[in-house]
Parts: sequence; structure tokens; C-alpha cells
Amino acid sequence: MSRVVIDGLVKHFHGNPPTKAVDDLGLEIDQGEFLILLGPSGCGKTTALRCLAGLETPSAGRISFGDTTVFDASRRVNLSPDKRNVGMVFQSYALWPHMTVRKNIAYPLRARKLRQGLKAGWVEETAALVDCGPLLDRYPAQLSGGQQQRVALARGLVARPELVLFDEPLSNLDARLRDQVRAEIHELHTRLGFTAVFVTHDQSEALALGDRLAVMRHGRIEQYDTPESIYEQPATEYVAAFLGMGNRLVCEYVDGRWVADGQVLGGAPVQVPTGKALAVRLRADDVALHPVGEDPAPDRTTASVTVVDAEYAGRHMDVVVVMGTTRLQARIPTGDVGSWSRRVAPGDRLVASFRPADAMLYVADADQTADAEAIGEPMSLTDLARAETVEV
Amino acid sequence: MATTTVPQVGPAIHTRSLARSIAKPVGIVLFLGALAYLVLEPLIRLQSKAFANGAEGYRTAFTQPGIGDTILTTVELALGSLAIALVLGTFLAWCASRLPPRLRILRVIPVLPIVVPAIASVVGWAFLLSPRPGYLNAALRNLPWWSSLDEGPIDIYTVPWIIIITGIALTAFVYLFVSAGFENISAEQLEAAQVAGSSSWGVFFRVTLPLLRPTLIYGGGIALLLGLGQFTAPLLLGSTAGVNVITTDIYRYMSQIPVQYGAAAALGSTLLVFGVVVVALQKMLLGNQRRFVTHGGKAFRPPGRPSRWAAVALVAYTTVATILPVGALIIVSLTRFWSANIDVSKFTLDNYREIFDQSNITDAIYNSVTCSILAVLICLPIGFVAASIVLRGTRHRALRLAADFLVSIPLGVPAVLFGAGFLLTYTEGPLVLYGTRWVIILVYVTLMLPFATRMQLAALVSLGDSYVEAARVSGSGVIEANLKVVVPLLRSALGGAAALMFVLLTHEFAASVLVRSATTQVMGTVLFDYWTNGSYPLVAAIALIMSAVTGLGVLVAIVIGGSKALSSL
Repeated sequence: MSRVVIDGLVKHFHGNPPTKAVDDLGLEIDQGEFLILLGPSGCGKTTALRCLAGLETPSAGRISFGDTTVFDASRRVNLSPDKRNVGMVFQSYALWPHMTVRKNIAYPLRARKLRQGLKAGWVEETAALVDCGPLLDRYPAQLSGGQQQRVALARGLVARPELVLFDEPLSNLDARLRDQVRAEIHELHTRLGFTAVFVTHDQSEALALGDRLAVMRHGRIEQYDTPESIYEQPATEYVAAFLGMGNRLVCEYVDGRWVADGQVLGGAPVQVPTGKALAVRLRADDVALHPVGEDPAPDRTTASVTVVDAEYAGRHMDVVVVMGTTRLQARIPTGDVGSWSRRVAPGDRLVASFRPADAMLYVADADQTADAEAIGEPMSLTDLARAETVEV
Repeated sequence: MATTTVPQVGPAIHTRSLARSIAKPVGIVLFLGALAYLVLEPLIRLQSKAFANGAEGYRTAFTQPGIGDTILTTVELALGSLAIALVLGTFLAWCASRLPPRLRILRVIPVLPIVVPAIASVVGWAFLLSPRPGYLNAALRNLPWWSSLDEGPIDIYTVPWIIIITGIALTAFVYLFVSAGFENISAEQLEAAQVAGSSSWGVFFRVTLPLLRPTLIYGGGIALLLGLGQFTAPLLLGSTAGVNVITTDIYRYMSQIPVQYGAAAALGSTLLVFGVVVVALQKMLLGNQRRFVTHGGKAFRPPGRPSRWAAVALVAYTTVATILPVGALIIVSLTRFWSANIDVSKFTLDNYREIFDQSNITDAIYNSVTCSILAVLICLPIGFVAASIVLRGTRHRALRLAADFLVSIPLGVPAVLFGAGFLLTYTEGPLVLYGTRWVIILVYVTLMLPFATRMQLAALVSLGDSYVEAARVSGSGVIEANLKVVVPLLRSALGGAAALMFVLLTHEFAASVLVRSATTQVMGTVLFDYWTNGSYPLVAAIALIMSAVTGLGVLVAIVIGGSKALSSL
């Protein structure tokens, strides 16, 4: 195993229009580390992964595995994928339908001429690791999706490669299976300690699996840190939005008071040193709702809102409210039978509150609107208009 | 693993990968160069002959009396047969999609005329519709209002009937394209139109037909090119009544002594210009193909209930297009001489005995089969490499376009012209192959390039990248990944391509008749010689044997490639 270093990686696509899929990407992945490339579709994460595998030729930069330079644009070094000693798990599994499971898993050993591995039973051993021992003589078409993905996993790991690459391996599985296979990958990594790069757009996968996360945006790294730091201290508004802080409240400091969408905020003030327009980012969990007249705790900032929609979701209610033209999502406890929260209906006037400590504050970022679409955040037209006025 | 012991191998890798990064494009350029020599050299040599002595070839060809009529007849033939083929082919494809489930097997029927060689069915039609001894004419003369006639009422040796015969032959091609087009339309798209309030006919004209537009334009373009380059029917049926088209005039220049290469080439240029115009029109009309991307859920199922009439229409078509001419061939092949009166008691197998006694015929059968098989075996790997280059072989766009262009040329250039070009190229230096089988094999390989490439390209596209990428990442080189993963997965596509090519090649006549020599004949050319000599019963027997060889080839391809091989026909 070895340390992987990526330096100044650039990848252009000469399409129409030409695009820069990866833009000056630099990463260092320690031996045995599980790195996640996280971002919305089109952010360049899969392209970066394919550059590591050698399936794409970068336009510039350098990649090395341990002491071996596998790619260096300036010295015209570019090892082909078969000479890179990596394993890869594909989104579509890519199991060869004309080979049995055994042949599929054994393929990397044969291709890399690892005869001792074939003799020592690495194939059976790896198949057993992923619970596919009894399936060895079947064909891929006879397996379920989850089984196919486990076989693909075994094929990626069997040759004990220096680096294992995962290209959104869980996105074709249904929700329950996804959690199960995710747990298995985590367990395998803990047990075997391979170095891994894992591409995903799913924040829960990223948080669960990664030793470190690289959040990507437009081919660049927006933030590179441990899951805890990224989740708790998103460095930019983009990262915050991508990691579940879907609520965006633009505040301005006017005459010594904080004003959001024409309404003076009550309760605890939002503590910030600057007088510029700020975007407050909040998770739905951190927004509480109260009936008018009930006083929230003194450490909470308050605003009066109107309910737009309420969904029952078992133990909690998902409520959409508006203050002025800003939509906010609140996730509130369902409460006991007969409690007011169960009866929330469109048109109700309520008080929303949050603890300033739970919110992240960013200088309002005009680019946010474009990215919000890519992330798939619910953002209304009025929000778009709002963001533009903030830019001034 | 032991990273510390791995020394820095930068400089060594440097030279090696530098060598490879140069070697790869150079290899591709060499491959394309060889391809260009094969495809373009014959055409270039023809043109240089045509322009020799102050374009004497052009002057001869275009000052000859009757040239205007020839061009007019060519255009008439092409457009007339195209119109018949488009209407009939689309109608049959529509019928095939409405067959009741039990009768699904009938959808293969309209393809059958492809299995019967063009030259055989033309001869069969002549046996039916020849003014005096034609069987169908004789039957029609029994009808009261034609009973006074001594010959006719139909004369197959005229332009309208040549157009009809050609149109029926082209129908099968249009049918294939349109059926494939139907399969790309999802049932849901049609159901949506129905739910939105369209009647069956409304759905057909408002949704189905517009979605078929690219298919019709593409298939129609191909049929038009085939019609322009049509050679067999005009040659066999037109020469008695003096009906000439460009291809038959080319043939005549080529069979004069000395051979008039210049004039033949000059005439051929008109077909090249037509070809370019047709392809340009196709591109213009198709425009942005993405508009027509029709993908999704369920397979095509036309609205409305399946109909028994669809089966009747298909069977009627088969009777006319295949059973009648083949029946005529069978009857003539069993008689001592061809006459309008059929006397079953005098049927004999002597003609077949004679065929197998005559070494020139058995040699021709042997030549046809071996040349076709060798050409298929050579063409498949070339097509595979060409398809890979077109798909993702190189970063250089120009090379990809060049590969695409080179393999497409034989589709737009009539086989007669290729025959003339090959005769010219391989009787002169540096490579003299005339008189050997190799010139036939080379011309066959060239003619099949578009089919070999397109079919494998389509299969590679539907296979996607990930299987190969998985093999590459697992440690396989390019060649190993292709051999172990791609080729096995393409098995049925390869079987289908091989079947189609074998069928087309054992039928081949237009190019063969020019590059053959007295000692190297193929089935089509022997048949033609006997036709010219008037030995009709032997002609009929040879035509039937040609069909049998083709049928056998298709059967073998199905065994090798699986049942899917037939559907890709």
C-alpha cells in the first residue's frame, strides 16, 4: 500500500462548449485512508476518479502512487490502467455476463499474473469476505443487484491493489440494501485497511465511510477535512447547503437590528462582527416552531411565519413555512396525540425560532443560486430574486 | 506493499510511454493508409484515366448519342423503385408489428427476398413475365379479355417493369430499417397519444410517422443509392429492348476491346455526384438527431388490436415477391427447355446432373463460397478495428472522421464502379492480382467494409464502456481486454454480421462480373454467361443452387451466433 499524491490535476473536455471538468485539483491520500469525493453531479468527482484509474488522460498535473509516478503531464508519463495496480468498483457493476462469478473475481489475478494468489485461494477467500461464497459458479445475470455489487466489490479487492476506487457503487441499489452494503464496505475497510477513493453525491454515505471528505465544486475542492469538521463547520455556504443546511435566510444589519426579508428578528441577536448582508444557513432540525403567544427560550432568535405545507413523517413533521418571500423547512417532533403540532395546516400563523449557535453565517454568495439547482435544493423564484438583491 | 524498494523509474517510463504515445497514432495512421489504398486507389486510378488526354474519357462518355436517355432512365429507375419500396416497406413493417402473437414468426417473411440472390429473382421474374413464354403471361392469356393475344399482356423487358422488379427488391431493405425504427419507439409514447385523445390513425400520422422520420430518411437514402447503382435487373432485362442505365453503359465500356476505362470512369462520376448529393441531403434533413432520441420502457406495440389482415398482407407479399419467381425457377430447372406449356410428366433432374458434371460450374460454386468466407474472415477484424477507432480509438478527431469516411464510401459507390476500379488497379502494377481469386476477395472485402463496421459499431455502442474499463483496471492490456471481454460479448453481433456479409457476397454479381477472368468465375457470373447463351434451364438450376448455398450460410451463422443473428439480418 502507498500514499497517493495528486498535484495540479486539470482535465479539459473538448466538447461543445469545452469544459474544465477538473480544475487544479490537489490531494494527498495517506496509506490506508478512505477518502470521499463528494459533490453534486457534474462537479468533476467521477472524472477525477477516472483520472486516478487511468481511464481518462488529464490535461495537466501529476499523480503518483507511492514512489511510482503514474501520470505526469510535463514529463509525458502516463501509465495505462492495467499497469497501475488499482481495483475499481463501478456504478453499473460491470460484471462480465459471459463469465461465472468465480471467473469474474479471478480475472484480476489472471490478468496481473498473480499465480500464487490463485493457488492460495484468494478468490474463495475474497468471495467469502463479501458473503458470495455459495454464488461462485453462477452467472451475473442470475444474481440480485445487491449480490452483483458484492461480487463487483470482491473483484475490486481480490488482487490486493494499492488503491481501490469506488464510482458511486451504491447508487443503483434500493435504500435498505444501500445501507447494508455501505456497512459492509466500512467493515471491510476497517478489517483490510486498503487505501480507497470513493465518489458519491450522498452525504450520509460520505459521512459514514470517509476518513476524510473532499467536497468538490466546478472541478475544484471546496473543503477538505474530516467528516466531523465538514459537517459541523462547513467552510463555505456551498458546503453547508450540500451537507443538509437547506434553509437560507438572508439578514441585513439595519439601524442596530437584524432584518430578514423585511421583518425585524426577535429574541437573541445573531452575533456577527460585520455590517454586510449575511446568509444564515440552518438545518431543518434546528428550526423550531411555536404557536403564537408561546415564548421561545431566551437564547433563540425568532420570526413570525406562515405555514405553506405540512407532511406527517412518523416521529416528526416536515413543515414548510414562509417569512415574507423566504421559504424555510422545519422538522419538528410530532408530539403526543392531541398536540398542536399534529394539527398544523397551511395558512396557520406560527413563530419560528433557532439558536444562533446552530446556524452558520456566510457572506451572501451570489453564485449560490446556480449551485442550488445542481444540488437539487428546493429554492423558490423569490429566493432567486432575493439572492440577486443581496449581491449589491 | 514494498513501496520503499521501488526505485524512481521516471526516465525509463518517460521514454517507454513516449514511444507508445507516438506508436499508437502511427499504427492508426498506417491502418487507415492501407484502408485508403484499398478503397480510394481504384477510384483515383479510374479518374486519372478519365481525365487523361484532355479528359477524353469525359468527352467520349458525354457526347455519345443517347446519354441523355441513359441518365433519365437511371433517375426514373431510382426514384420509381424508391417510391415503391418506401410505401411497401413501411406498410409491411406496420403489418408485421400488428401480427397476432401466434403468427409472430411471419415477420421474417419480408426479409426472404434478401436470401434469394438478386440475379436469381430477376431471372425468375423473366420466366414469369417474358412476353411470349412467361408463365404468368400465359396464364393471363387464358382470361377472356386477353384471349386474342399471342404474347403479353405484360412485357418485363420495359422500363416500368424493371422499376417494379427493382422496387420489390428494395422493399426488403426499407422493411428492415423501418422495423428497427418501430422497435425504438416505446409503447408508452403511443399510449400517451391515445390517452390524450388520438385515434389509431391519428397516432400513426401524428406520432409514429414523425418519430420514424429519421429512419425513413436514412433507409430511403440507402434505397435510393441502391436504386441508382442498380445493375442486375437493367442488364438482364433491359439489353434486349435497348433500355440503358449508367451502370449498364459502364459495363459495356468495360467489356469492349480495348477496355474503355476513361469513358466508364467518366460515367461513374455521375453516380458519385448523385451519391454525394444523397448523403448531403440525408445529413441536412436529419439535422439534430437528438430530437428523435426515443428510448424508454416497453417495446413498441402499436395501438389497436392485432389483426389477421396483417398476416394476409404479409403472406400475399411473400407469394408475389418470393414464391412466384422461385416457383418459376423450379419449374424451368426441371424442364429440358423453357416454354409456356408446363408438362409435369416430362420433368427431369438432368439439368442438376449437368451442373455437377461441368467443372466450370462446380468451380464457380467453390470459388463463391471460399472467396465469401475468406472475405468475411478478413473483413470482420478490419471492421472491428475501424469501429473501435471511430468509437474511441484516438484523441485525434481527424483520424476518427477519416476512418468513418473510408468505411462508408463503398455504400455510396456502385459495385460496378468498384469492379471497374479494381480491374484497372490490379491488372497494372505494382500489385498484379488479376486472374487470381485474390482480386475477387479484395473487392468483396471492400464492398463489405460498411456492413462489417456499422454492425460492430452498433454492438460496441450498446455494450458501453464499463466492461472494457473494468477489464483494463483489473490489469488487462488493450488487446487482452478486447479478446477476453469484448469479443465473447459480441458473439451474436459478430454472427449476425458474418451471416449478412456471407449472404450479400454469395449473391454478388455487379463487381464480380468485372473482376472475374475466364478461369476464376463465381456463381453469379456463370449464371450470367448461361443466360447470355440462352441455356435457361441450366440458369434456373444454378439460381436455385445459389439460393440454397445462401440459405445454408444463414443456418450456419445462426448456429454459431445464436438466434439473434437472424434478427440482425
